[in-house]
Amino acid sequence: MALLEVRGIDVFYGEVQALWGVSFTVERGEIVTLIGSNGAGKTTTIKTVSGILTPASGTIEFDGQRIDRLPAHKVVGYGIAQIPEGRRLWPEMSVQENLELGAYAGEARGKRNETLKRVYELFPRLYERRGQAAGTMSGGEQQMCAIGRGLMSLPKLLMLDEPSLGLSPILVAEMFNIVREINSNGVTVLLVEQNVRHALELASRAYVLETGRLVLSGAAHELLNNPQVQSAYLGF
Amino acid sequence: MDFSSILPVTIGAILLAGLYATMSYGLALIYGVMRIVNLAHAGVIMLAAYTTLWLYTSFKLEPYLAPLIVVPLYFLLGMGMQRLIVRRIAGAAPIVSLLLLFAIWLIMQNLAYVIWTGNTQSILRPYTTRSIQIEALDLTIGWLRLGVFVAGLLTLIALQFFLSRTYLGKAIRATTQDRDSARLVGVDVEQISMIAFGIGIALSALAGSLFAMILPFNPDFGRVLMLKSFAIIVIGGLTSFVGIAAGALLLALAEEWSVGVLGLQTSLKDLVSFSALVLVLILLPNGLPALIGRMPSWRNKPTRSVSPVGSASPTGGGPK
Repeated sequence: MALLEVRGIDVFYGEVQALWGVSFTVERGEIVTLIGSNGAGKTTTIKTVSGILTPASGTIEFDGQRIDRLPAHKVVGYGIAQIPEGRRLWPEMSVQENLELGAYAGEARGKRNETLKRVYELFPRLYERRGQAAGTMSGGEQQMCAIGRGLMSLPKLLMLDEPSLGLSPILVAEMFNIVREINSNGVTVLLVEQNVRHALELASRAYVLETGRLVLSGAAHELLNNPQVQSAYLGF
Repeated sequence: MDFSSILPVTIGAILLAGLYATMSYGLALIYGVMRIVNLAHAGVIMLAAYTTLWLYTSFKLEPYLAPLIVVPLYFLLGMGMQRLIVRRIAGAAPIVSLLLLFAIWLIMQNLAYVIWTGNTQSILRPYTTRSIQIEALDLTIGWLRLGVFVAGLLTLIALQFFLSRTYLGKAIRATTQDRDSARLVGVDVEQISMIAFGIGIALSALAGSLFAMILPFNPDFGRVLMLKSFAIIVIGGLTSFVGIAAGALLLALAEEWSVGVLGLQTSLKDLVSFSALVLVLILLPNGLPALIGRMPSWRNKPTRSVSPVGSASPTGGGPK
């Protein structure tokens, strides 16, 4: 059984339909990437999984349980963490407060101190900055903090929305290394990226979204050599 | 100009500022969490004043003990108001919540006219006029004014502790700073909104109860205080607690000095407050914190000097 199973979801913003019958699966331990251009529906898809948006029809199952009718604050307790696009930290709270609040839900709260230690081991820079207001850090540091905050909820599935956005090339490479490291520790990853080459090199499988519909899916290395993908996203 | 009065007038202003800050925090908390302006603020201040009077006349409860009843009562009332009325207009255009809360204020005011008539009331106790004399400085400070200031100050310290040290308080701050991020870590923002609204109303009520001991009131009481609260939270930058305390102090000083030191007529005192509001809105729409934020050397220097933006590698170097 897949860890995440999305079946035929339709999602609307008011009257406007943003997703049309989108279906995909994420297996335990995988890194799966959703790629597509701006406005294709990638962010809408993961916001629907995390419960920020509710699908008009279709189902979402996580670990065998229906989660598509649950509000966002309940979904996180099932083991899904979304790292939103643009970091979305609480800018006036300290780094440590941001991280600690990541463990707000469910069992994570009781294990907060051990998890915090592990997050600081993964991101030593965050430990150095723990007392600083999160909004005063650089973009890369803020992205680390956002990922750390997500890890604090002890997720089974980590969904990252454009983690490389606005980072320098060196930091982008480092970001992808961190995602790989997190995955090797047993966390399943769903990655949304406009940096298609990096994403396909990292992931095992990929889905391509175009104007709210899934148009292509397959093993990541195959999509990397797919002429359609190359011309649309890799600039060949 | 009367320079000999500078010290007593300044002390009077500081004592008043404590109460101004107390009443403004409620407004700011509700605005921060829900992004709505609580126009019923004035009604709550007024009703709490009458509640204090009623507790005294009906139950012989000393007014200085009234907050022990008033604060929890209005906390529950505020949560009920949010749950039953305000929640229904969540996500609507700002004008909807403004009109709704304005209507609630008018209903409160008219109820008060029906129940207590329009006569001006005041609460007089043997200790109302008692004061401390400090002869060396030629100072007279009313006990009640001092007590009311201390009560306001203790409340603010408790509130600051609650917001910075408890999980619930941190969840309220997180909801204020980024609502969706709060939802993503498991904060039930609907519940937080209800609690924050309850605390906001309880703070307004506390201010009303304290004001009732030192000022006369009628069903229109609270209107001017609400407008002053607006001035204070705008000066304070809307959500910054330290900013609001500074805003309260600035406004109280401006009012008291203009009358006590510069010799302006007492009836023109409110003119000073509202001129300050207009000036701040035009010159400094984001309040004092924005002014401080524009001087990067104050706030960002330690950070920037450690790590130039963009050049540092956030994870490199440390032990794995």
